[in-house]
Amino acid sequence: MAAPLTLLLIVAVTIRAALYRSSLADLISERVEVVSPLTAWKRVVEGLALLDLGVSPYSGDVFHETPLIIYLFHFLVDYAEITFMLADVITAVALYLTVKEYNKQVFRKQKFALEADRYPLDCLELIRSPKEMFYIPLKVAMFYLLNPFTILSCVAKSTCGLNNAVLSLFILSTVKGNVLLSAIFLSLATYQSIYPLTLCASALLYLMQRQYIPVNFRRASFWWFIVQYAFMYLGSLFVIVCLSFFLLGSWDFLPSVYGFILSVPDLTPNIGLFWYFFAEMFEHFRLFFLCVFQINVFFYTIPLSIKLKEHPVFLIFMQLAVISIFKSYPTVGDIALYMAFLPVWSHLHRFLRNIFLVCCVLLTCSALFPVLWHLWIYAGSANSNFYYAITLLFNVAQILLVSDYFYAFLRREHHLCYGLYLKRKDGSEATLVLK
Amino acid sequence: MKILTLFSLFVTYSSGNSINIEENVGQFFSSGHTNNWAVLVCTSRFWFNYRHVANTLSVYRSVKRLGIPDSHIVLMLADDMACNHRNPKPATVFSHKNMELNVYGDDVEVDYRGYEVTVENFLRVLTGRLPPSTPRSKRLLSDDRSNILIYLTGHGGNGFLKFQDSEEISNVELADAFEQMWQKRRYNELLFIIDTCQGASMYERFYSPNLMALASSQVGEDSLSHQPDLAIGVHLMDRYTFYLLEFLEDIHPASKSNMNDLFKVCPKSQCVSTPGHRTDLFLRDPGSVLITDFFGSVRKIEITMETINLTDPIQQVELSPVYEELQIEKYSYADQLPVSEIIHQKPKQRDWHPPDGFILGLWTLILLVFFKTYGMKHLKHIF
Repeated sequence: MAAPLTLLLIVAVTIRAALYRSSLADLISERVEVVSPLTAWKRVVEGLALLDLGVSPYSGDVFHETPLIIYLFHFLVDYAEITFMLADVITAVALYLTVKEYNKQVFRKQKFALEADRYPLDCLELIRSPKEMFYIPLKVAMFYLLNPFTILSCVAKSTCGLNNAVLSLFILSTVKGNVLLSAIFLSLATYQSIYPLTLCASALLYLMQRQYIPVNFRRASFWWFIVQYAFMYLGSLFVIVCLSFFLLGSWDFLPSVYGFILSVPDLTPNIGLFWYFFAEMFEHFRLFFLCVFQINVFFYTIPLSIKLKEHPVFLIFMQLAVISIFKSYPTVGDIALYMAFLPVWSHLHRFLRNIFLVCCVLLTCSALFPVLWHLWIYAGSANSNFYYAITLLFNVAQILLVSDYFYAFLRREHHLCYGLYLKRKDGSEATLVLK
Repeated sequence: MKILTLFSLFVTYSSGNSINIEENVGQFFSSGHTNNWAVLVCTSRFWFNYRHVANTLSVYRSVKRLGIPDSHIVLMLADDMACNHRNPKPATVFSHKNMELNVYGDDVEVDYRGYEVTVENFLRVLTGRLPPSTPRSKRLLSDDRSNILIYLTGHGGNGFLKFQDSEEISNVELADAFEQMWQKRRYNELLFIIDTCQGASMYERFYSPNLMALASSQVGEDSLSHQPDLAIGVHLMDRYTFYLLEFLEDIHPASKSNMNDLFKVCPKSQCVSTPGHRTDLFLRDPGSVLITDFFGSVRKIEITMETINLTDPIQQVELSPVYEELQIEKYSYADQLPVSEIIHQKPKQRDWHPPDGFILGLWTLILLVFFKTYGMKHLKHIF
């Protein structure tokens, strides 16, 4: 599988390099769907320029990335394009290796379950075979690299690509079972944007199950593992934050980065849900709604973890999707990461109900974003409501996509437990209804 | 130039006492201002705001009568009442003094008229940031020896003044504009009079030195207008400016009335609202400030028969500071634009470099993690 992967990498790098050299690069790097005030490359360059002038890069509302990005790009600013292409390549390779490892695990579990005779007889068509799973890792890498969203995000040199790289390395190290690296990459991802904190739960679940620690609140080994992981995670986070302090000599990156993410002062339109609400909110309600919106991101962790206790990798997928939809400054780069996982669940296609609608809506909305932006800002014949309607529709389509996959996954699990063709007590055919 | 003009007016006395004129010269030149300016603004339009135009024109009349020439007055009227089609007495704007005083004579020069009276233009006039094509009559060409009178009238509220029914200027903006004027040395002393509802809120944010402010009402009070004129059909003046005009009509260029008399204009019994004033930023004692220091253009002239040698630098008499924390500095010309620095600026090399300790620490950590993950056995393959 190395050769097709290499070919894919070469094709992806070629496309990105071609786009970098064309005139589209400037156009794309200004699009609000692709860059946000957090991730814009223009702001990184501004921050570095401010630093060269002797001023803190966080003065004024320009630069909202972390000091480690400053360190990285201080040396690499002339090779920025290569850096971002490399980040994409790393992400793709990491996802490839992750999915290969995950497939092995899935297949192993399935083999044990078959031998233990846990599957009812009529759901044999739901069992996955290695032959059908052979090309899935390549498909995942392809989905990530050739996704127009990823290409746009890379050409715009949005730091979302770096975040994606760190997240995919985190997923790789989790799936391989390496507790230390998983904690370190997760703390790096959290350090850059706060929301990957929710991936802690899924990482813990996976690592505990891999080490055969029972996920039971009453067991001491459970808590001991949590303490170890939390220590590694919080310790590395603390170390990274202190290193950032020593880099610039001041703590003013804390309000500029984390305060900015949490308190959403910048209401530039993006593909998220925050800007429109907060643009027209009364001041005295602002804190309340800020809390509501931010809690919304973190809220789904616990219920999802309880439900998807046995399937931590699917939980990671769901969490990534929830983060990408509900975070304060989403961009299409975040969407590209969780969409890369879709081929892993391609065996669920017989249970997905809304895929056609979702695909149509996503494609239409992606096409309409620049149109309505032009109408609003340049032609003046539309207003922010039009753009926000498309944003809402886009997010609704994403939520529908994610919940559809969730439904399909749970339904498949249910069928694996209770049989594919359900019969009522008297033997007549029954159907499964989601209430 | 002005020093030379004054110098030529000196004729020596033949008096018994031999006054050492050179000692008094320093005191003469430290008196403060050498020229006067006035910026008079009416911010409201429409016929029913006749009184605001009449207010401004009354102050214009007084200021012109007391000696400030049109070249030193910036008059901004947001609407044309004299030629308004609803004016039953065209080409006139009456103020309330006996209902017979036409303040719109044939020598009224309006510099900003109609829609040109905007917040932006007002602030640009004050700070001097006008495009190069602006004519002199529309500029406030004051320097650090100018005393400026600023009179605003219109509709206002707590912290703002409405311009043209479509925009507002806030008290913070005004205070910042005055600070810009101070830093650019555009005034020596400034008297700010405002006749609007809740006018005192407009001066509560001032923080530059040498500002004195008067307002027609306190925060929470409305400034009321005087009686309407039945022939014209609108209120002709506001109360505060009416009594101010009455007070100013008694001032002549030689009068010695001071600011304390001005503060007593229009008490609550006549004005219904409580006029307010603010003198804490003003360095001199208001009792020693003449009305004509702001409203008139009075040159300080002393006739002497002696010759004076002005080649030595003038020793400025130390004014006893009213507030010890305010330092009185010798005025020198403030360089508006550091041109020499801009012309000779070289492109800066990339100066900032991450501290070495940071780089060391970071890479040590990375190596530690690497070896922890992959085991120490790899070490012997590397070294």
